[in-house]
Amino acid sequence: MLGKNGRLVGIVARPSDGACDLPAIVILNTGIVHRVGHHRMYVGMSRQLASAGHTVVRFDFSGIGDSVARHDDLSPIRACLSEIKEVLDGIADNYGVRRFVLVGLCSGADHAVLYGRGDPRVEGLVLMDPTLPPTARYYFHYVMQRFANLRSWFSVATGRSGLLHLVASHLLSQVEPKATGIERLALQDLQFSPYLAQCYRAVAERGVRMLAVFTSVSVRHTYHKQILDSFPEASAGGALRLEYFPESDHVFSTPSARKRLSRLIESWLLIG
Amino acid sequence: MNPLYLGTAARRLFGIHEPAAAARAGRVRAALFCYPLGQEYIYAHRSMRHLASKLASSGFQTLRFDYFGTGDSGGEESDSDEYGLQCDVRTAIETLKEIAQAPKVTLIGLRAGANIAAKAASPAEVERLILWDPILATQQLPAGAPVLEIGTALDAFADRLLIVVSENRETYDEFHKACAAHSAQFNAIEFIPSPCPWQESATVTGALPVPAILRMQQWLQ
Repeated sequence: MLGKNGRLVGIVARPSDGACDLPAIVILNTGIVHRVGHHRMYVGMSRQLASAGHTVVRFDFSGIGDSVARHDDLSPIRACLSEIKEVLDGIADNYGVRRFVLVGLCSGADHAVLYGRGDPRVEGLVLMDPTLPPTARYYFHYVMQRFANLRSWFSVATGRSGLLHLVASHLLSQVEPKATGIERLALQDLQFSPYLAQCYRAVAERGVRMLAVFTSVSVRHTYHKQILDSFPEASAGGALRLEYFPESDHVFSTPSARKRLSRLIESWLLIG
Repeated sequence: MNPLYLGTAARRLFGIHEPAAAARAGRVRAALFCYPLGQEYIYAHRSMRHLASKLASSGFQTLRFDYFGTGDSGGEESDSDEYGLQCDVRTAIETLKEIAQAPKVTLIGLRAGANIAAKAASPAEVERLILWDPILATQQLPAGAPVLEIGTALDAFADRLLIVVSENRETYDEFHKACAAHSAQFNAIEFIPSPCPWQESATVTGALPVPAILRMQQWLQ
């Protein structure tokens, strides 16, 4: 059990020689999926990285997986950030590790960036399909990809088009007063993007290495390098490395995609 | 929540024991959960945990565990086979009986976990059996999952067996025919429309199968 008062359930994989000079890897939940990950992705990843000499932690945020829910009034985002700190503190105290790399898919990637801006112990981030706000080029590719699809035309005609909803949301975010602070926003809210941009800038300025992995184009991102347009701050200082898995879906369903991902992360960690 | 490892060093299983909130006077009750297989395990994890917590608050000692080669247990996916899954269930039954100091346990299986539970359950060790959306022989079975033997389960457990179908009326009708073909007087199967906990939508919408969970809790009281 991890965290304050042992509220958080997690699994710690240690290198067999007990060494602690390599950074510890902390893998964050994706949405409400528990610490095992889609297709047991994080179990395989943590075993591979532990055999490479890292201490690896997979844990459940409160209310997710096997961790008990919180009963305070912290917002979900603040609660996640606070729990990441608790887990890092616990690993530092128990295993003497002082350097950390955070790993996350989708919302897990966003939490990694949000947390990484403020903790100097975090020296690396592995971000898989992080949230990216749409750009002009995003809309162009989105329309082109659906242009020849009759079903898309039908969706537009009946008002069910995802693009229409996204554009409306984007316009509303410009017109409505911006929410102050992040407490009232969800990660996917377009109003959250400026705050995410600040976090990317902060981690880049701090020299935090980032490995950003993107899977096949989807409604989340419609072209390679979209992150460079959505968050140009992320590439400041040259610490951002982009990798693509065009053959993989969002949750790395195939064993070959998961194997390639684990090897990529392991080799990227070695370079650091 | 008490995380623990059960089984042997060669076949180490991960489990979560949730103690009973308050013991019911004079009666020790224990419930063991058999998860689905494959991605259905991921989607259903939250619902199974929710049901376990409900039962724990009702006085059950509960144990959820991962089969060898799945979840946080040892081994790889390729290590999981039908015989091994049965052995894992028996290991978990013995562990829970010891933790709870109970002579028998209630076995609850969802999807392939229901098929596995039906095959592994013996009246000598299992007090009551809940098969939640088991997979019929006419449907695709994940590797390692046994064919559902409804007749055997009905013979062994009679009115101590509950089959919950939450997906749709057509599936319920198929089960009803299978049960009725075996015992015209027996009606263990209930159709309780609920969000399917073993489908991807469960992790997208976060919807819990509340009607099914409440019915199972009520049936076990």
